[in-house]
Amino acid sequence: MIEDRLLILGFKRGSRQALRRIYDKYKVELLRLAVVLLGDTTSGEDVVHDVFVGFAQAADRIKLTGSLKSYLVTSVINRARNYRRDGARHCETPLEEIDLRSSSERGPLQWAILDEQLTLLSRALQGLPYEQREVISLRMEMDMTFRRIATLQTASLNTVKGRYRYGIEKLRSVLNGKVEHEIRR
Amino acid sequence: MRFADDIRRLFKKAKLGIDPDADERVFEDMLNARQKVTENLPALPRNMWRIIMKSPLTKLAVAASVIVACVIALPLWRGTQSGIALADVLARIEQVKGLRCKIYYKRTNYNPALDKPYDIEMRVTQVVSEEHGTKKVVERPDPNGAWSKSETLYLLPQRRTGIQIVHAQKIYGRAEVDDTIVKSMREQYSSDPQAFLKQITEHKYEYKSLGIEIIDGNKVEVFQTTDPNYMPRGFKNPQVDVKIWVDVKTRLPVRYESLQSWDFDQMGHRLSQHLVEYDFQWDAPLDATEFDPPPVPEGYRSLVVKYPTHITEETIIQALNLLVELLGKYPEAINYPANLEVDPTNMYDLERTVLRLVEKSENPAAMRLKEEIKGLTEEQINNKLVDFLVPIRGLARFANVLQRDKKDPAYYGKTVTPNDADKILMRWKLSDNEYRVIYGDLHAETVSPEKLAELEKALPK
Repeated sequence: MIEDRLLILGFKRGSRQALRRIYDKYKVELLRLAVVLLGDTTSGEDVVHDVFVGFAQAADRIKLTGSLKSYLVTSVINRARNYRRDGARHCETPLEEIDLRSSSERGPLQWAILDEQLTLLSRALQGLPYEQREVISLRMEMDMTFRRIATLQTASLNTVKGRYRYGIEKLRSVLNGKVEHEIRR
Repeated sequence: MRFADDIRRLFKKAKLGIDPDADERVFEDMLNARQKVTENLPALPRNMWRIIMKSPLTKLAVAASVIVACVIALPLWRGTQSGIALADVLARIEQVKGLRCKIYYKRTNYNPALDKPYDIEMRVTQVVSEEHGTKKVVERPDPNGAWSKSETLYLLPQRRTGIQIVHAQKIYGRAEVDDTIVKSMREQYSSDPQAFLKQITEHKYEYKSLGIEIIDGNKVEVFQTTDPNYMPRGFKNPQVDVKIWVDVKTRLPVRYESLQSWDFDQMGHRLSQHLVEYDFQWDAPLDATEFDPPPVPEGYRSLVVKYPTHITEETIIQALNLLVELLGKYPEAINYPANLEVDPTNMYDLERTVLRLVEKSENPAAMRLKEEIKGLTEEQINNKLVDFLVPIRGLARFANVLQRDKKDPAYYGKTVTPNDADKILMRWKLSDNEYRVIYGDLHAETVSPEKLAELEKALPK
């Protein structure tokens, strides 16, 4: 916490190193979250890019009430929701049509490189309704509590727990034995 | 929920890598976005390095110093047809003790996020006195198209002080600086001819005379260079058009204009800067009171950064003591990380490093400090640490200066403890036959190279 506050302080004072540190510290976590939320590497990259650029622009106005990580994660969640809502091309995609390239299929301007496990997870999550996907992503990727997720989703604790249960069940049916195989690889 | 546990394990196992090229591009976008904000709005208060080198104001000042560099470079532009001996111009400038002038500056940048260019404009009224220092008043266009005062900057070498007043944000920043920064101030902001000459004597720009013009009824000769070498290295596809107007009678410049542009990216976007310096008043009478900074205006936040005035052996021992008190041991390194070499006075990174170490420490002093800054605002933390970090800043600066000056420094905080009275903690070269040594218990002595070799041989591996 102290480090993050000082990073922001330094960044506000113009320290390029502070900005670089913030960027390096959180980019992978945020990219992972965005990619599993949106099920598309390019869209996830766009969202995280916008979050960081927005952060760089707004740093003077940012008044953190919680942690910097929490602020950035919330920004990714909000932008991912907007991204889905605003673009027709970001609507729910059938599993077989999802374009999640693995490292061997990288495009020339790709920022994030997914291994096969992350590709598998992201694909599987796209078969879930968005609210369930969000709960599972935040719980698994960010180790977020159900209570915190409930606040983010403005839903009751029970609703969030229900979304989690249904989501896990759906994943079980979709992945059907692949998980154990991947863990043992 | 065994399956949920499996899913969690798979999430942990799954990896995401980063393409380094794309990574740098995203970071550049952040920097550009940030730059746009900082250059369109008044800058925040910064530590001294920021004041000297990084603020938009200072970029302008640095650009302005190029003007003087150009002026001083005139003797290298030989062979005019009008009879002006440019060496005379240099000689005249060398005699100048005070100068007033005005500057107009415009930079055209490109914002990749918005895919469009944008301009930054400012006007500066500058007063430079060899004796008293430099004062700059900066104006920027406001939304109504009028110019309004945005910042006032004082660099006062004799008082070892730099002051930046940011009017829009009501911030009054003061930096108390050491000899190194004072030297830098003098080199960059005064018309110290020797320093500038040293800077430019290696350049031999191609130039031509554009002939005689009349300005304000006075005959002036115009000289121009379009030599791309005029721009520092590293700019892609540079284009240069620099002109200087020299009064035939007084042999002093009356106007300077520089237009420089270069590639921003490979898509054909270019950046440019246009700088005009005019209304020169060479040897203008300058009163000391003109350089008296005002008191902190009511309603302004006051921020302070301090550096030790003189860094001595006592300073660094005091800093090492303080670090032991906080951490319970010596830090593993005392100089700045290698990537800060170009930014050696970036004190923020030192604060961050120290605070990060303190955060992990449970020593009484560390606990006390953590308790003291708990719940404080950023401004309060900043001001709280001002005095506290002075000796540590001195230590870090000292270590970097030793390195810069090739004094063969070494530091062994990784293995030496405060109880090691016979083990060498730190050393640097005084002469070919002498090294200064500080031991683990912080007593110091001067030793021969042979004794030093023995001491270092005895160090724990």
